[in-house]
Amino acid sequence: MYGWIWRHLPGNVWVRILISTVLVVGVVFLLFQYVFPWAEPMLPFNDVTVDGAAAPAAGTAPGGLV
Amino acid sequence: MALRAVVRGLSELCITAGILIVLFVVHLLYWTGLRADSASDNEIDRLHERWAAAPRDGSAAADEGRAGAPSRREREQRGRDGETGPAGGAGERRAGRAQQQPYRDGRSFAVMYIPRFGRDWSKPVLESTGEQTLRRGLGHYTRTARLGGKGNFAVAGHRRTYGDPFKDFPRLRPGDPVVLTDGDTWYTYTIVKRPYRTLPGDTGVLDAVPAPVNKAAAPFTGPGRYLTLTTCDPEWGSSHRLIAWGRLDATRPASEGSPGALTR
Repeated sequence: MYGWIWRHLPGNVWVRILISTVLVVGVVFLLFQYVFPWAEPMLPFNDVTVDGAAAPAAGTAPGGLV
Repeated sequence: MALRAVVRGLSELCITAGILIVLFVVHLLYWTGLRADSASDNEIDRLHERWAAAPRDGSAAADEGRAGAPSRREREQRGRDGETGPAGGAGERRAGRAQQQPYRDGRSFAVMYIPRFGRDWSKPVLESTGEQTLRRGLGHYTRTARLGGKGNFAVAGHRRTYGDPFKDFPRLRPGDPVVLTDGDTWYTYTIVKRPYRTLPGDTGVLDAVPAPVNKAAAPFTGPGRYLTLTTCDPEWGSSHRLIAWGRLDATRPASEGSPGALTR
């Protein structure tokens, strides 16, 4: 997979390194900005409130009351 | 050759998954903390700006006049309950003004100080306990009493991640002050019991007179002005909740400076 990407990047070695770095930074940014905040509520650290609705259906309570 | 490609593909997949997990842990442990700390500081700064722009002390007299009737009724009520205490004037004044300025969902309205958690521990209190709200500070349970009001003022906060506001929750002890200000008045609540561990469905702890499932844990017998703090337990889990209760001990106009509990 990574070899395939490397082979398909244009330019010489230095240009490829530069493009790869940009790609990696972009992916990390997308993860931190969108993917992780979306995935994080599925973990239990968010459940700090006492709420009857939150007990059985923790992940699906409306309004994020978990 | 085909086998080699499959093995290489699998290896790369495993490495990718490992990197993803490490990145996610970094996100949880550090990034959410950094984001939450700056969000909390922003909220507190915004509150101070708002309070500076619209000092509400000047309007207190007028409000007191308007709140006259309800506060007399409250006093009688309190007489019947046989409850006495210094939680007087300002709280009633606030109660009288309660109808005029309802808390807005997701907006901060107070700052909480808990000296037990550290000298410089301060967090904004926002309305509602939604996910997005709790990422910026502590959340006030919408259906519970107002700050300083009659009943139960209940607040939830993260134990871990998002700045770890309630990390030291189990260290709370009876007598610990919990100080809040809404820019108008300082409210000093005093913790009355060691944190009580319960199940997530134990909503009675938020009642005006807290009524936990475990009757023996009930902190109060009659109505009053109470504070409830909730967070999760164990630290990284969600199987239980920790609850701390306090009672309003003193109020003090903001113009007279911060209360003794903060300067000791």
